[in-house]
Amino acid sequence: MNTPQLITHSLRTLPRHRLRTAFIMLSSFVGAAALTFVLCVGEGARRKMLVTVRQIFGDSAIVVVAGGNQLMGGPRPDAARLTLDDIEDTVRGMPEIELWDPQQTMTVAAKHGNAAATVRLLGQSERSERVWSRSVSRGAYFDAMAVKRLDRVALIGETAARSLFGTGDPIGGEIQIEAVPFTVVGVLERFGTDIHGMDRDNEIVVPISTLMRRLANVDTIAAAKLLLRDARQGEQTAAEFRRRLRSRHALTSGQSDDFRLLTPVEVQRMMGKARSVLSLYLPLAAAVALVVGGIVAATLMLGAVSARIREIGLRRAVGAQPKDIAFQFLVETSVSVFGGGVAGIVGGLLAGQLVASRLQLTGAFSWNAVALALLMSAATALLSGVIPARRAARLLPAEALR
Amino acid sequence: MIELNEIGRTYTRPSGESVQALTGFSLHIGRGELVAIVGASGSGKSTLMNILGLLDRPDSGSYRFHGDDVATLDVAGQARFRNRHVGFVFQAFHLLPKTSALENVELPLLYSDRSPVAGLGRKALEAVGLGDRMQHTPSELSGGQQQRVAIARALVNEPELLLADEPTGNLDPTSAGEILDIFAALNREGKTVVLVTHDVAIAARAHRVIRIERGRLVADDSRESAAATGRTHR
Repeated sequence: MNTPQLITHSLRTLPRHRLRTAFIMLSSFVGAAALTFVLCVGEGARRKMLVTVRQIFGDSAIVVVAGGNQLMGGPRPDAARLTLDDIEDTVRGMPEIELWDPQQTMTVAAKHGNAAATVRLLGQSERSERVWSRSVSRGAYFDAMAVKRLDRVALIGETAARSLFGTGDPIGGEIQIEAVPFTVVGVLERFGTDIHGMDRDNEIVVPISTLMRRLANVDTIAAAKLLLRDARQGEQTAAEFRRRLRSRHALTSGQSDDFRLLTPVEVQRMMGKARSVLSLYLPLAAAVALVVGGIVAATLMLGAVSARIREIGLRRAVGAQPKDIAFQFLVETSVSVFGGGVAGIVGGLLAGQLVASRLQLTGAFSWNAVALALLMSAATALLSGVIPARRAARLLPAEALR
Repeated sequence: MIELNEIGRTYTRPSGESVQALTGFSLHIGRGELVAIVGASGSGKSTLMNILGLLDRPDSGSYRFHGDDVATLDVAGQARFRNRHVGFVFQAFHLLPKTSALENVELPLLYSDRSPVAGLGRKALEAVGLGDRMQHTPSELSGGQQQRVAIARALVNEPELLLADEPTGNLDPTSAGEILDIFAALNREGKTVVLVTHDVAIAARAHRVIRIERGRLVADDSRESAAATGRTHR
């Protein structure tokens, strides 16, 4: 047998069965594209998650959220109150906490002249600039005095500035937030979208005191971020803070916390779960699609063996050995499955880039994803060819020619 | 060249019933003979043909080819035997569709372990008068032309034995005559030709007619006179 010639010959039979080859390629295309897409977008989402967590926690921080055991959705109406004094008093006497910043948020209507926008309003202290590592790109951050005096000053995000001021300069401009006039003193540094897909540039930051008294009329805060002096002290500091806050809230040992502490270690744990979804379960589901593609290919090729039974008989009659027949069917199946797979990888990469750019994910590409998809396609290609090849080889020439 | 001794072949039908296709069948065919095998359908002539070409294996008896026992060859050995020594021509042509005449003719070379020689396929097609149709696909050729492509395919590996199973069964009388002329000419060039047919007119052109009924040889007529008076001179 002349192997290179037999391979060439097998390849030339593919376009002669155009529709079947197309279906086989399509089935593995879909699987490989899904796998590549999920892996790449997952990689982008993982990076985004890491960046966001770094943005929230920096090197070392603890976030206190009002309400117990409730991570998402903010405080509930029945949740215990978390006040500025709670944090103030708890932190006093804890030198391991370097700096802290309270936060309260609400969604508001903001206006400038005839322009109006719905934005997320954040109340923060002047320390927020350091604690959240987000400063202003133009203008100046408000100071402690502004917070003390309930000044009506605002820092505006780029999206909100564009909605309200268009191309004009927002600094020094006057805006109405829920009909209360504010003066814009700075433009916030660009942030992009956060992990929930929220545009963090569609925000306005005002002194927390102003928000609590002049706008929301509340005396509680939603959360606070505590900056630690020493990253290694995170868990002990969190435990100490928890003990102190519990005693201040007069919680007995049977009661659960009426607040929630997010520490770097806990967030790592949560991220681990999210990451296993992104980098294990979703790709697993996509890999199943590829396997199904392989099964489709195997089924179609089994049908081809029956349809081409006379051809097989003839090949045997002119001297093909069973292994030659098996080899031909293996090549035909593998090449169409693998070809579809490679096309699918390219398609999945393109779709991944498209979606990633829409979601503002960066780094939505990984060689590992390409390598894994290639490997899976190759394995599927070989495995899906085995059964048809064996079936074809087992035919008896006299019966196949009948 | 060919010695069949006491060949028996029994098939089992899907219903479980067993059919004796050949019983105690003995036959010698010498080099350069032109033999016709005739018999009603179901008489066992196709089984005989398959056993001669090692497409099927006898249950009993022996098959010697140039003195070698070939019935006991393993599957790979049988394939090599078919590739080297036998050219098959079938009633239904069995050409690969959408494939050029040349590529069809070269198919046996694909499975040959001889070193490739350029132009064998072309030479075989020219020998059957289709040198100008090499790139045509079967659907672009008439039935007679398709069968000539099939004959070229049978010749391409230069076998000693040509086995034809009702080669003119699907053809009009004119094309059938042309095909028979080709076989006769090949026989004159020294090929041993075995034609299976139920057409008495075809059988009349053979030197020797073997008649089968119910798996048994019932007549073996050598007709040197027919050969002498016919178009086939030796």
